Amino acid sequence: MASSRLPLPQGTLDLLILRTLSLRPEHGWAIAERVQQISQNALQIPQGSLYPALHRLERRGWIRASWGVSDHNRRAKYYELTRAGRRRLESGETAWRKLASAVGRILEAV
Amino acid sequence: MLTDLLYRLRALCRRRVVEAELDEELRAHHDAAVRKHVEAGVPREAAERRVRLEFGGLDQLKEECRDARGVAPLETLLTDVAYAGRLLRKDRAFAAIAIATLTLAIGASTTVFSVVNAILLEPLPYPDAQQVVLPWRLAPRGVDVGFRDLPWGRREFQAFSQQTKTFASFAAFVGDGLNLTGDGEAVRLGTARVSAGFFSALGVPPAIGRAFTTAEDQPGREHEVILGHRLWQERFAGDPAVVGRAIDLNGAPYVVIGVMPAGFAFPRAAEMPGSFSFPKEPDIWVPLALPAGALKRGEPSELAVVGRLRPGVSVREGQAELDLFARQMEREFPQAKGWFDADARPLARQLTGDTRRPLLLILGAVFLVLLIACSNVANLLLTRSMARARELGLRSALGAARGRLIRQLVTESVVLSALGGAGGVLLAIEGIACVKAFGPASIPRLHDVSLDVPVLLFAFGASLSTGIAFGLAPAVASVRRSLGSALREGSGRAIGSAAGTRLRTALLISQIALALVLVIASGLLVRTFVHLVRADGGFQAAHVVTFELTLPPSAYPDTDRIVRAYGAALDRLRSIPLVQAAGLGETVPMGGAGESTGVRIPHRPVTRDDERPFANYTIVSPGFFAAVGTPLLRGRSFLESDTADSMPVAIVNRAMAEKFWPGQDVVGKAVGIPIAPFDMTIVGVVADVKHVTLREAPGPEVYVPYTQKPWPSMQTMHFAVRVNGEPAASIAAVRAAVAAVDPRLPLANVATLSAIVDDAAAQPRFWMYLVSAFGVVALVLACVGLYGAISYAVIDRTAEIGIRLALGAQRGEILRLVLRQGVQWTAVGVAVGLAAAFATLRMMASFLYGVQATDATTFFAVAIALFAVAIAACYVPARRATRVDPLVAMRSS
Repeated sequence: MASSRLPLPQGTLDLLILRTLSLRPEHGWAIAERVQQISQNALQIPQGSLYPALHRLERRGWIRASWGVSDHNRRAKYYELTRAGRRRLESGETAWRKLASAVGRILEAV
Repeated sequence: MLTDLLYRLRALCRRRVVEAELDEELRAHHDAAVRKHVEAGVPREAAERRVRLEFGGLDQLKEECRDARGVAPLETLLTDVAYAGRLLRKDRAFAAIAIATLTLAIGASTTVFSVVNAILLEPLPYPDAQQVVLPWRLAPRGVDVGFRDLPWGRREFQAFSQQTKTFASFAAFVGDGLNLTGDGEAVRLGTARVSAGFFSALGVPPAIGRAFTTAEDQPGREHEVILGHRLWQERFAGDPAVVGRAIDLNGAPYVVIGVMPAGFAFPRAAEMPGSFSFPKEPDIWVPLALPAGALKRGEPSELAVVGRLRPGVSVREGQAELDLFARQMEREFPQAKGWFDADARPLARQLTGDTRRPLLLILGAVFLVLLIACSNVANLLLTRSMARARELGLRSALGAARGRLIRQLVTESVVLSALGGAGGVLLAIEGIACVKAFGPASIPRLHDVSLDVPVLLFAFGASLSTGIAFGLAPAVASVRRSLGSALREGSGRAIGSAAGTRLRTALLISQIALALVLVIASGLLVRTFVHLVRADGGFQAAHVVTFELTLPPSAYPDTDRIVRAYGAALDRLRSIPLVQAAGLGETVPMGGAGESTGVRIPHRPVTRDDERPFANYTIVSPGFFAAVGTPLLRGRSFLESDTADSMPVAIVNRAMAEKFWPGQDVVGKAVGIPIAPFDMTIVGVVADVKHVTLREAPGPEVYVPYTQKPWPSMQTMHFAVRVNGEPAASIAAVRAAVAAVDPRLPLANVATLSAIVDDAAAQPRFWMYLVSAFGVVALVLACVGLYGAISYAVIDRTAEIGIRLALGAQRGEILRLVLRQGVQWTAVGVAVGLAAAFATLRMMASFLYGVQATDATTFFAVAIALFAVAIAACYVPARRATRVDPLVAMRSS
């Protein structure tokens, strides 16, 4: 079942997390679920990478964590985007679009 | 940037909270994932299993989160240190042995390093000391004058100092002794007569006043003196106004023109070649005042020289100019060809000369101890890590990276070595105090040794590097081993895993071998020392008082008066009831070198200057040989009837008789010296007497009586008085006897002959004690290692031993079984050690006396002794094996 999914391109994980959190604060599980949903099951964040990535982003000051209560009435750690994170997301999006279109043009040209 | 820092700080300081939060976060995720599967209709257990698989290793994930927090290295270190501390507290015996071993090794090496640092590494108290050289003259190849470093003659010194291009200052100096008279009791002052450039060559000007000018360094104008700091403090109460005042030296007024700074004491006898006679430490410096013009007949060569090279000129360039000068002198004086070569020796090498090589030997010994300690602790760690194989295996199966486990094990060993290092520094404080208390005064700068910053840095570096050195190999070995096998083996211990056992055995054998090398080395030094103190020095040291007497030329201007005064003093001394014999000579045995001179032997033609025979030339009085206990081998001793009017006579030593008249009767033969026109008739032969060191082989020596107007001046003579009973008790009577002749004459260097010999033995004794101490430490460490290894082997084989006992094996057989292992290890270690000692201890040859570096007796005696000690160390744990209860043993597996 994992084989039907696309492998996550290098360096895109941070972008996906930041993009997801730009909609509203979420906890780790919900971030993974959201990415899977939106990509229509094409992308799945492996748990093994999600949490280290969250900790790294928090350290860089792009996201900030606070404890809240989840839908199932459990304490959960919610992450939200900081201002620096939003700037980072914008520059990341621009870079990604440029890259995607450049790669696309090359693929079409051949 | 700031958030980053704050984040890391929180992660570090509130580690527990952060970890708990991570746990909770991951659990929430886990629960949510399970719920999702359950809602999709998967049974709960299957759901949980699937989620666990998706997660992978939980510990690994946590570890990665910790890494992402960016504080991992520091945090891991803290965790590891704390963990190591817990483990060590749990395993007290192991920790105690390991820390004690390291304390011993680091303490010993830090002590030795502090000595090496003070003596060899600390900069000399002279500015740009690397530019200062002492160019001793060398005897031509093949000519043995008894000494290596020879003095310069006035002619060469004056010629070279005028023409030199490479030296900025070039000065000559000689040792002397002057009597300070006038206010207070007369004392004899250690004196250096120095030429004008002396202080600028060393680069140290007087602290008060000024140095000598060239104009003052002239005969007749030399009545000026510079005081040493200690004399200035003790005799003149540190009064700066002393500069400009006159003091009485040998009855003549000398104007004080300067005071040297504290600590300046050049030349010291201990730091100069033994063939020169310098004071122990100079108290005053006076101008050398060399005359100008042609050499007088028989003018001795007696100058020591010191030069400061111009800035930027290397020692090699200075040497090149000295070589050119030698060739030039050979053209001018062809018959003296070969006598002008000089060796430009850097000051640092001169000052540390005799101490440098023993120190390197000690450094080698302490390095061996450090190696043994390292391999000992490595072995302990390896043994322990085998017992921990299961723990390590489990942790690596749970996702701990290999590097992480190695890092933790190495942290443990560094914690051990840090504790050992702390203990070592404490031990070194004691060690340094001991070295200062027992170290001989003749080792330069030994008493400046202290626990300073470089020494502490060394102790720190030594601890850290030993920790890594002994920790890394066992850590790598045990981690590599544990990854695969530990869990499969099921049992708590990894029995006989081949790689680990090989490493342990190799370490054990190398310990035994290293210890053997060190113990053999100390054995050789002990035998050397015994030979030295038992060696026949040509005299009997017990019951002899010696002292020096200087007759000032103002009161004793000619030889007649000098001889009369000495004769009167000897008569007075002999009339003391307890005195058996009294005599005087230019030197007493072990009291320093005398003059060396070319001798004339009739019927022995000399064609070239370098074939000229040389001999020590010593003036003595009748009764001298009886007083110092030198046996007369043939003929007669000097008599009171040998006077200026009777036939000139001489006595030679055995070495001289055998060298120049081999196989002949020497008594009645003639010998001459260049200065005297008449030959002397040899009337007796005495035993060879040692002058400078206990290990010297005395060369030819000719003695002449003081009453026959010998050359040169006899202003200063050494007295020897043989007494009944305790010599120290007679000193007051001796002083009184001299005072009865002339109350203004101070006695200098009053000592017993035994004390002088003892001083000469002090350095070899000190080095012997140090190396022996390390030998003992090495032996103890090796035995501890062997004891531990056998104990471990016994525990390892408890089950096997139980089965053997259950099947009817006798206890004696079990004992042999275990001991055989120890015997095998020891035998291999001893064999390797003997080979290593044979190969390396040749380097010690120059330290030895009366014993070869490959002395078979020492080698085998030490090997057998070590074998015995090693087997004793094995016996205790082996006995324990025989008391194994078969039932308990089999259950324990």
